[in-house]
Amino acid sequence: MEPSAAGTNGFSWGSRGTPSLLELPSNQTLRFRGNRALTWGAALEGLESATGTVPQDQPTKDLEEEERPLKELPLCLAEKHRLRHQQEQVKGQLRGRGLWHTGKGRALRRFQSRMRDMLSQAEVWRGALRNIEGHFGTGIQSYFNFLRFLVLMNFVAALLVAGFVVVPNIVFEELRLNWMGDSQESAVNASCLHYNPNPQGLVSYFTYIMDLLSGKGFMELTYLFYGYYKNSVVDFVGFSYNIPLAYLLTTLFYLFFCLLWVVRRSVQRLRHSLVTEDGSLGTYSEKIFAGWDFGLTQRQVVELRKKSICYELKLELEEEALKQHQAAQTTRQRASLYAVRGLVNALVLVLLGAAFYCIYRATEYSQSLLGQDDSPVKGFYFLELLVAYLPSIVITAANLIFPMIFGVIVGLEKYPLSMEIKLTLLRSVFLRLASLAVLLISLWSQITCNGDLQSWGCETCGYNVHIHPCWETSVGQEMYKLLVFDWVTLLLVTLLVEFPRKMLVTQFPSCSLFRLWGQQEFLVPSNVLDLVYGQTVCWTGVLFCPLLPVLNTLKYIAIFYLKKLTLFTNCRPSDRTFRASSANFFFLLVLLLGLMLACVPALYSIFVLPPSKVCGPFRGELNMWSAVSIAVSKLPDITRDFLYFIGSLGFAVPLFLLLSILMFYLMALASSCSQMVMDLKSQLQLVSDA
Amino acid sequence: MGNKQTIFTDEQLDAYQDCTFFTRKEILRLHGRYHELAPNMVPMDYTRDPDVKLPIQLIVNMPELKENPFGERIVMSFSEDGDGNLSFNDFVDMFSVLSEMAPRELKAIYAFKIYDFNTDNFICKSDLEKTLNNLTKEELTEEEVVLVCEKVIEEADMDGDGKLGFSDFENMISKAPDFLSPFKIRDILQP
Repeated sequence: MEPSAAGTNGFSWGSRGTPSLLELPSNQTLRFRGNRALTWGAALEGLESATGTVPQDQPTKDLEEEERPLKELPLCLAEKHRLRHQQEQVKGQLRGRGLWHTGKGRALRRFQSRMRDMLSQAEVWRGALRNIEGHFGTGIQSYFNFLRFLVLMNFVAALLVAGFVVVPNIVFEELRLNWMGDSQESAVNASCLHYNPNPQGLVSYFTYIMDLLSGKGFMELTYLFYGYYKNSVVDFVGFSYNIPLAYLLTTLFYLFFCLLWVVRRSVQRLRHSLVTEDGSLGTYSEKIFAGWDFGLTQRQVVELRKKSICYELKLELEEEALKQHQAAQTTRQRASLYAVRGLVNALVLVLLGAAFYCIYRATEYSQSLLGQDDSPVKGFYFLELLVAYLPSIVITAANLIFPMIFGVIVGLEKYPLSMEIKLTLLRSVFLRLASLAVLLISLWSQITCNGDLQSWGCETCGYNVHIHPCWETSVGQEMYKLLVFDWVTLLLVTLLVEFPRKMLVTQFPSCSLFRLWGQQEFLVPSNVLDLVYGQTVCWTGVLFCPLLPVLNTLKYIAIFYLKKLTLFTNCRPSDRTFRASSANFFFLLVLLLGLMLACVPALYSIFVLPPSKVCGPFRGELNMWSAVSIAVSKLPDITRDFLYFIGSLGFAVPLFLLLSILMFYLMALASSCSQMVMDLKSQLQLVSDA
Repeated sequence: MGNKQTIFTDEQLDAYQDCTFFTRKEILRLHGRYHELAPNMVPMDYTRDPDVKLPIQLIVNMPELKENPFGERIVMSFSEDGDGNLSFNDFVDMFSVLSEMAPRELKAIYAFKIYDFNTDNFICKSDLEKTLNNLTKEELTEEEVVLVCEKVIEEADMDGDGKLGFSDFENMISKAPDFLSPFKIRDILQP
């Protein structure tokens, strides 16, 4: 056994001296991770100057910097005490300003560290996340992290929308301020103005519940939907508030703000995952050296963890064996494998096509049946509810069944396991987002009579006024229904499937069926996709239903507590630990994709579709964007010309060229950096061989 | 907790605060845990820096370390006399490095020491095999163990000497994004 001296300040850094450590790729990655991590240089400088005698004429700045790494030096505590004593002695010999500096510096640092501690304590749900991490690992914690991020984003968005759109409206209405309405309604065809969503005659109690769930009836003319907002400018003692402009700009700014936030967060994650995942590195070493959680204390959990590490290693070895087996196949076998893969992909496409067709038909059916005044389901409340929710039901059913089918047929393609997971995930993502897109397309075809604005229903008003007198509210209602149904499904599945499953499996352990079924495993990818889908629905609907972010915030907060409850009571720790790091970026990418998808209907409605003539803040305008162009034309000359210039081609084309050049430059830089890394790696080999 | 504690002088507590990642309160609580392990050996009054060391068996039986397959190695890496006996300083040091606030580099140094079973400052194949056996409770077959160890050395050995030096280890760890979070003992300070 070596004497303890080797373990402390005699710690040998291997056969190489200090300089090459600074050139290690790992040092560069440390720098890459920002200023939180000290580079090796800083720690070593502290060490070197601390172990030698500290000269008395050393400038005070060095002393301040030396103090910082004292905690972080790899010395034993007695040594650190001795060093600190030395430093104190030196400080004691300083006079006047030097002493004051160091004293202030130390006080400042202590204050900073205390502030940092307090700030981290103030993080929402910090304790809950740590608890989850301790019991289930970082993989499942990443899901809750993501959920917390979504809650925060929705909360800020809700404040934004409420503050600029809803609250001013409420205030102005309460104060009964002088409305300056537009007088353009005389030019509008009278048939476009038939709109009375209020319930007529005697209304039964059940209708209220129906209306609450479907957004019609008494809910339709409320702050919840687009149709309620007035198209006026409030002028009050020199203070003028243009409601249509505020509505439009707030929505656009909300989408832009979410884009910025998600991009910033995904860039952070991307940086992390690009740097750390070399591709060539680390599955085995990572599992062995970073696989054990030192915080586990209960015997059962420890045993499970050991089993899961063992299982993972076996999986890796199997994958390796499979790869080698596949590489050794003849061309005929390979051709047959590719044929099978092609067939499976074709099957997937056929299934997706079938799903989309069902969704399209369901939406059409639902809208037309409910739009008619003499439809056969009126009066049968339950049937009406069913028909109203038919699109949501079909989408949810497709999203429950098809991923399971994908998971089964991907086994035929004989990919390695990690590839299988990724492929199934990709297909499920595509299904989810595309089903939403199909719903929107079918709504669009209804509203614009399949794009043909001259056909029978759409010629008078520019949109299908018979079925949708106030089409924005209809779209908002569909989004609202999707949100409500998503939440209800989640609640029902948790209560009616997960809790009973746990009870059955624990109460009847002898029954082989239950044992086969097993306890619930918390699957992170599918849960994250649910969250992304909900958020996409919220983004799509915000233009038509301004209070959707508020509802979404409440929904996600409830989901957090529900999922936490079901995690702790019903789920067992999974066999396969989920790799949080690479998946984080992937989830943010999918979220970004959802945002892109959501922007399309919003921008299309703003720039192309004519707004409803009878409701909403843009009634009577040509399109929604005209509110902005009118406002811009009222600005002073210089600003107006500047804004026109920015919007013109003369500005856009050079900007595009400049950005392309920048992108090519960055790509060249990235490839040269990776080349340098490879060169340094081979240099290391040469140095040691020499 | 008032200022009336007589376990440490204020100077000592300041020194601990500067040299570890704990606050005054946490140091006092740690002292409480240390005292609990052997109430008759550990004095309540530390103002005169008594030279008390607890043997490894007592430390390894703490609930935080009992189930840890590397418990013994952790204690050995922090022990000053090389036999696994921990003084209070070593005790505090150990939990300071394993706490949440310790930076990655510091943890990497001690992780290397922990995995280096034969303490020759290199992680060689036999060290890896012992680590693997600790991790998987010997459920892998002999040849699987050998295969995995070979793969690890293949992945992480940069200078081609067949074993992992500290720089190889550090380089590999810096690429493992999840390294920092598992390498800590939480809730040591909960009563």
